[in-house]
Amino acid sequence: MTDRQDPGEILSAPLIIEYPFKRTTGPVIGAFLTGLRERVLVGSRAEDGRVLVPPAEFDPVSGEDLTELVEVGPQGVITTWAWVTQPHAKHPLDEPFAWVLVKLDGADTPMLGALAAPGIEAVSTGARVEPVWADEREGHIDDIAHWTLVDPEGGRA
Amino acid sequence: MGHERVAVVGIGQTKHEATRGDVSVAGLLREAAQRALADAEMTWTDVDAVVIGKAPDFFEGVMMPELFLADALGCTGKPMFRVHTAGSVGGSTAIVASQLISAGIHERVLTVAFEKQSESEAMWALSLPIPFTPPLHAGAGGYFAPHIRSYIRRAKAPDHIGMLVALKDRQNGLKNPYAHLHEHDISFDSIKESMMLWDPIRYAETCPSSDGACALVLGSEKVADEAKAQGRTPAWVQGTAMRSEPTLSAERDTVLPLGGALCAADVYRQAGITNPRKDVDAVEMYVPFSWFEPMWLENLGFAEPGEGWKMTEAGATAMDGDLPVNMSGGVLCTNPIGASGMLRFAEAAMQVRGTAGEHQIDGVRKAVGHAYGGGSQFFAMWVVGTEKP
Repeated sequence: MTDRQDPGEILSAPLIIEYPFKRTTGPVIGAFLTGLRERVLVGSRAEDGRVLVPPAEFDPVSGEDLTELVEVGPQGVITTWAWVTQPHAKHPLDEPFAWVLVKLDGADTPMLGALAAPGIEAVSTGARVEPVWADEREGHIDDIAHWTLVDPEGGRA
Repeated sequence: MGHERVAVVGIGQTKHEATRGDVSVAGLLREAAQRALADAEMTWTDVDAVVIGKAPDFFEGVMMPELFLADALGCTGKPMFRVHTAGSVGGSTAIVASQLISAGIHERVLTVAFEKQSESEAMWALSLPIPFTPPLHAGAGGYFAPHIRSYIRRAKAPDHIGMLVALKDRQNGLKNPYAHLHEHDISFDSIKESMMLWDPIRYAETCPSSDGACALVLGSEKVADEAKAQGRTPAWVQGTAMRSEPTLSAERDTVLPLGGALCAADVYRQAGITNPRKDVDAVEMYVPFSWFEPMWLENLGFAEPGEGWKMTEAGATAMDGDLPVNMSGGVLCTNPIGASGMLRFAEAAMQVRGTAGEHQIDGVRKAVGHAYGGGSQFFAMWVVGTEKP
């Protein structure tokens, strides 16, 4: 083809569009995230007396505002878990670990976390865990670097 | 319109601001919804269903936010419905909610529309790149400016009309405590001197970017009659209509869209309006850029094509004119995009109920709420009045 354009003459310009979404967390989720920065865990008390962790801004049954914050944990128990044998790049831990639901002391609902454990045999429902805090905390869920077993020798019942 | 009568029995909105840094998305919606419920003297449990609307999910980057907002709106275990019609969505959402009652399905429906633009990237969400072509516009203003230039040429409109609209709406907004912009020092000269963003649209002729929500409680005839008996005037829905047309169809007239004209004709027929200029007492129309006031005056049948700007120039659309337009200050003062259409519908209902405070027009018996969206292609309107349809 004789009219083919020389690739060297093709003009180009960068087109980079980014979407830096921001979030306003509000008075309740905001208090939870601020607490993480101070190594304090809080939940909110629902109308039926249950303590929800992480806290909810409104009652899940009646829809009314929830404003009473309750300090919980920092220890809690595993209510269920799943072992990850091959962590991938986006996972919070490089070694095999467990996704756990942790019901903190004083809480009635569990929250999700990543548990560092020496092996699958060390993890069990009902085992006590505690948070390992990130060295630098900024009011983000990642301020809890991961969870660890209070008694790693406890093993499975 | 279905068989059963519908009325607005509760209205609520947030204080609109550039950044509502004090509330989450859920908190923002609840502020409007709780005010609407309080106005209707109801609680979450009285509501049968919730209809929610917002501009495209791409704005805040949360897909299907209605799922996590169900709990926040007291909708646990109840029907929830999401409406998508771009910038007109606030109007369409209210209409869908009204249909759940007019169809005889529900008695009390809460409808909420919102946008949290401080958490959004509206500019680029509205500037979707077409593959293999350079971006031709940025934001809505760049898209609509050629439509306005075409209008000015066709109508032989003088340059100052847009500035008159901006001045009127910003001054009306001073009377509205919920409005985002309260520009006490605004003047014709300050508008004229503001930066030209997208010729002929100046900065001061452009809507702001707002966080905000609006909520309505709609009730059946029985619910509305009870409210009236207790001294709370309902705004009866006398007609609703939606129309849309494709963005890129070659024969489309973006200055005077056929979809908008057909939408107006349909809603007027339902409401028994034969002479819109005479029969309608007040209008809240979707004017995000000043020049859309004369354009929509023509599209909605309040003026002949090419004549709308003369109404603006003569002061007919001012608070003391014969057809007040955008008493609330309109989109030019407050633009939480997804909520903006519902705010128009809500203002029309407030005027009919006599609850508009300082921006109340005396003796409003019939008011029009209007919203448009997309590339001037989605249209939603309702007529509300003091009389049962």
